[in-house]
Amino acid sequence: MNYKIVFNRLGSLLLVEAALMALPLTVGILYKEKTALAFLITIVILAIAGNILKIKKSEAERFYAKEGYFLVALTWLLFSAFGALPFFISHAIPNYFDAFFETVSGFTTTGSTILTDIESMPRSLLFWRAFTHFIGGMGILVFVIAIFPHTEGSAMHIMRAESPGPSVGKLVSKLKATARLLYGIYCIMTLVLIILLKAGGMPLFDSVTNAFATAGTGGFCALNNSIEGYSSAYAEVVLGIFMVLFGVNFNLYYLIIAKHGKQALKSEELRWYLGFIAASTFVITLVLTFTRHPFAESLRKAFFQVSSIISTTGFTSTDYDYWPMVCKIVLFLLMFIGSCAGSTGGGIKISRIVVLVKSTIRTVKKAFNPRSVETIKLEGKPLDEDMVHSINSFLSLYMIVMAVSIFVVSIDGKGMVETITSVVTCMNNVGPAFGAIGPSGNFANFSNLTKIVLAFDMLAGRLELIPMFMLFTKYIIPRKYA
Amino acid sequence: MYIIVVGLGKMGTTLTAQLAKEGHDVVAIDTKNSVIANTVDTYDVMGICGSGSSIEVLGEAGAKKAKLIIACTDSDELNILCCTFAKSLGTEHTIARVRNPDYANQVNFLREKIGINMIVNPEYETANEIARIIRFPSVANVDSFARGKVEIARIIVHAENPLCDMPIHEIRKKFRQQVLICAVQRGSTVTIPSGDFIIKKEDSISITGTRTELTSFMRAIGVYKQRINNVMIVGGGRIGYYLSLLLSETSRNIKLIDLDEEKCRKLKNSLGDVTVICGDGTDQDLLDELSIENQDSLVALTGIDEENIIVSMYAYSKNVKKVITKVDRHSYSILTDIGLETIVSPQLVAGSLVTRYVRALQNSAENAQIHTLYKLVGGKVEALEFSVPIDASYENIPFKDLHIFSDILIVSIIRKGKIIFPGGDDVMKGGDTVIVVTAGRIIEDLHDIFI
Repeated sequence: MNYKIVFNRLGSLLLVEAALMALPLTVGILYKEKTALAFLITIVILAIAGNILKIKKSEAERFYAKEGYFLVALTWLLFSAFGALPFFISHAIPNYFDAFFETVSGFTTTGSTILTDIESMPRSLLFWRAFTHFIGGMGILVFVIAIFPHTEGSAMHIMRAESPGPSVGKLVSKLKATARLLYGIYCIMTLVLIILLKAGGMPLFDSVTNAFATAGTGGFCALNNSIEGYSSAYAEVVLGIFMVLFGVNFNLYYLIIAKHGKQALKSEELRWYLGFIAASTFVITLVLTFTRHPFAESLRKAFFQVSSIISTTGFTSTDYDYWPMVCKIVLFLLMFIGSCAGSTGGGIKISRIVVLVKSTIRTVKKAFNPRSVETIKLEGKPLDEDMVHSINSFLSLYMIVMAVSIFVVSIDGKGMVETITSVVTCMNNVGPAFGAIGPSGNFANFSNLTKIVLAFDMLAGRLELIPMFMLFTKYIIPRKYA
Repeated sequence: MYIIVVGLGKMGTTLTAQLAKEGHDVVAIDTKNSVIANTVDTYDVMGICGSGSSIEVLGEAGAKKAKLIIACTDSDELNILCCTFAKSLGTEHTIARVRNPDYANQVNFLREKIGINMIVNPEYETANEIARIIRFPSVANVDSFARGKVEIARIIVHAENPLCDMPIHEIRKKFRQQVLICAVQRGSTVTIPSGDFIIKKEDSISITGTRTELTSFMRAIGVYKQRINNVMIVGGGRIGYYLSLLLSETSRNIKLIDLDEEKCRKLKNSLGDVTVICGDGTDQDLLDELSIENQDSLVALTGIDEENIIVSMYAYSKNVKKVITKVDRHSYSILTDIGLETIVSPQLVAGSLVTRYVRALQNSAENAQIHTLYKLVGGKVEALEFSVPIDASYENIPFKDLHIFSDILIVSIIRKGKIIFPGGDDVMKGGDTVIVVTAGRIIEDLHDIFI
C-alpha cells in the first residue's frame, strides 16, 4: 500500500471539501445567521488538515486497486467527520455522534435524520444537509475527477470503487470527459427540477434543497413532515417523476444525448425498473382503494411512495405507517431492490437482482438437468461467469453485514420492527423506516453505538461494501507492523 | 484525435499507452475480457470487448467518427478486413499490421486498391533497425535526421572512457568536435544535461552530430569499433530472415541458426549467400563449435526473451564486440544493468513508427510543423524535427534571449543544407529545420518549447 500517495490525494480532497463549504457559508451570510461562523471555522480546520496531509509527496505515481479502495473509504469517512463539524460547532446538534450520523446520512444520500424539529434549524445548515446529498449522489471522487485538470489512467480504480453497480463502464474514452458528462447531465436535470418546483409555487430555498435531495436520491427535507408539509399535489407528482428519473442508469441519458434513444429504451434494466414501479404502484393503489380511499389520491400517494422508496430517496407524502400491512411489505421489499446501477440511488440494484433471479433459475434448471449448459444474459449479452460469482458473493456479504448490524442494534433494546428496519433502511440508503423510526419518527432515540453501526451501514451500502471492508483487512496495516 | 486500436497484444498495448499519454481519445478493442479490463484500469481509454471484424463492435467503438484505426491483432487477414470495414464505415485513416512476407510484395496494392493508409511490419522494421546498428557498430543505437545529415548516437560510458567525470562544457573544448550531448540516462532517470552536468561511469549518453564529426569523436574517445564482418544470428524467425536478407546485400559473413530443419531449408532456398545452420542456438556447445569467439557480432532473435538474454550474456563473456538482443518486454533498466547495451524491441520500433504517423496526421490537421519524431533511450527521450514557419514570433532572436524549458535542448539547425550546432548567439530563421530533444515533455509545435 502506497500511503504517501493516498494521504497526499486525501489532502487535496479535504481542500475540495473546504471549497464546497463556501456555498453553505454564503447561504449563512445571506440569511445573516450565526452558523456562518461555524462554517468558517470548519473551512479553516479543513484547510489546515488538507495542507498537513499534502506535505509528503509520493515518488511513485501509480495508483492500484487497493489504493483506490482505501482512498475512497477514507475520503467518505473524513468528509463525513469534517462535514459534521458545522452542526457540532454551532450547537445545532450538540452531540457529535448525532452530527456525524446526520452528515453520513447526507453524503450517502440516505436521508435518515436524528433531528426532532427540522424547521427550527438555521437555513445554512439545512442547505448544507441538502448539499451533501447532491455531492454524495454522483460521488465525491467522480466530482474531483471531473474538475481536476490532470487525471491519470489508473483513476479508473477510484471511479470503480465509488460508482454504484456491479460493473462500471466509461461513456467516452477519457475518464475525465466521462465524469464531466455525468456531472453535466446531473446538474442540468437538477436545474430543471428546481425550475419546475419553483414554478409550482414552492419557495426558492425549498425548491433548491428539495431538488438537491431528489437529485442525490437522499431525502432530507426542510420540513418536519417532509413533502407532505407542502400539501401540493403538483410538487408530489413532479418529485415523484424526478425520483424515478434519478434512479435510472445515467449511461442511458448519455445514449439519448448521443442519439441512441432507441437503444436506451431497450435497456433490460430500465424495463425491470419500470416494471417494479408499475407493479408496486398497482398493488398499493388497489389495496388503498379497497380500504376506502379515493382512487386518484391513492394512485398519487402510491406512486410517490413507490418511486421514493425504490429510488432510495426516502421522501414521504403521507405517513405510510398507517397503510395496510400489504402496502408496507411492498415498500419494505422495494427498499432491498433499489434503483438501477450507475444511478444516484442505493439498494442492491436492479441489475444485480436480475442476475440473481436468472442465476437462481439456472440453478433450478441444472438440478433437473445436471449436464445442461446455461449462460446468463443481461442486456442481450452473455454475462461473464466471474461477474455472476461476484454478484452472488455481494449478496452473501450484504446479508452477513445486515445480520451482524441487526444483532448489534438489538442491544439497544428497541422493538423488532425498529431494530430490523433501521438497518435495512440505512444499508439501502433509503431514509425512513417503519414504526417509531417511520415517516413521522426519527433516529434520535438510538444509542451512540447504534448510530455508529448505522453510519457504517450507510457508508457500506453507498460504497457497495468492499471499500469499507478494506478498512478491516490486513492490507491497510503498514508492512513494518504486519 | 479519436483513435481505435484493435488487438491488445504487445504492440497494441504499447500504442494504447503512448496514444493515451499524448491525450488522444483512444478506444481499444480486444476479444479477451480480462485484457480489456486490465487496459482500462491502467490507461485512460475506453475498452470494448469483441471482434474487430464485427461491424457491430466497430460501430460501438465509433468507427463512423474515428479519425484513425490501427489494427494490430495476431492475424494479418483480420487486420486488413478490420481496416476495410472501418474505412467503409467512415474512419478516415487506417493502419494495419501485416507481417506475412507473402503479403509484403502486395503493400502497394493494399495501399492503393484496398485503401489502407499504412502497412506496418514490425519484424521488417526491427530488422532494418538492427541492420543499421550493425553498419554503425561503435554505438549502442543510431538514428538519423534531416535525411541522414544529422545523427543521434547512444553510447555507454565505461570507466576507461575519457569522458568519465568530465563536465559537459569542457568536452567541446577538449575534443574540438562539433558534437552535442543531448540526453543522459543514469539508472532509470533521463536528463537533458546543462553545461555543468558531469558525466559519470555507466551513464548512457546520446550524442548528436554529423556522421563524420561523430565518427572522429568516437575515435577520439576510443569507442570506435571496427567494421563488423562476421555476424551470427540466433533464431530464424521473420526478423532473422529479413535481417539476413538486408545484411547479405552488403557482403558480410552471416551465420543463421535455427532449430527447425524444415524452416532452415526454406531459409536457405530464399537466402543464397547465408550459412544456415540447423541446431539449438541457445546451446553453448553449438555456439562454441561455430566459433562464437571469432564473431564480430551476435544477434539474439529467438522468440523467448530469456533465451535471447542468456545467449547475449554468453556472447559478451566470449568478447563478441557487438551483441544485439531482441526483447519483447520492456524491462529496460535491469537489462542495461546486467551489461546488455543494445536492445531492440519490435513493438517499440513499430510503436514509434505509428506514433510518428499519428503526429504527422495531427499536424496536417492542425498545421503544425513536425517532420519526424524519434524515440530514443527506450522511448524516454524524444527527438523531433520541426520546420520553422516564416514570421514566427521567435524568429531572429538569439537563443540566449529566448526562454526555453530546461528539459529541452535545440540540437541543431539546418539552414539551406548547412548544419549549425547552435550556441547562445545563433538564431532561428523561417524555413530552417530544427531538431529538438526533450525528456518527457510533449511538444507538438515549436511554440511549446518556450516557457
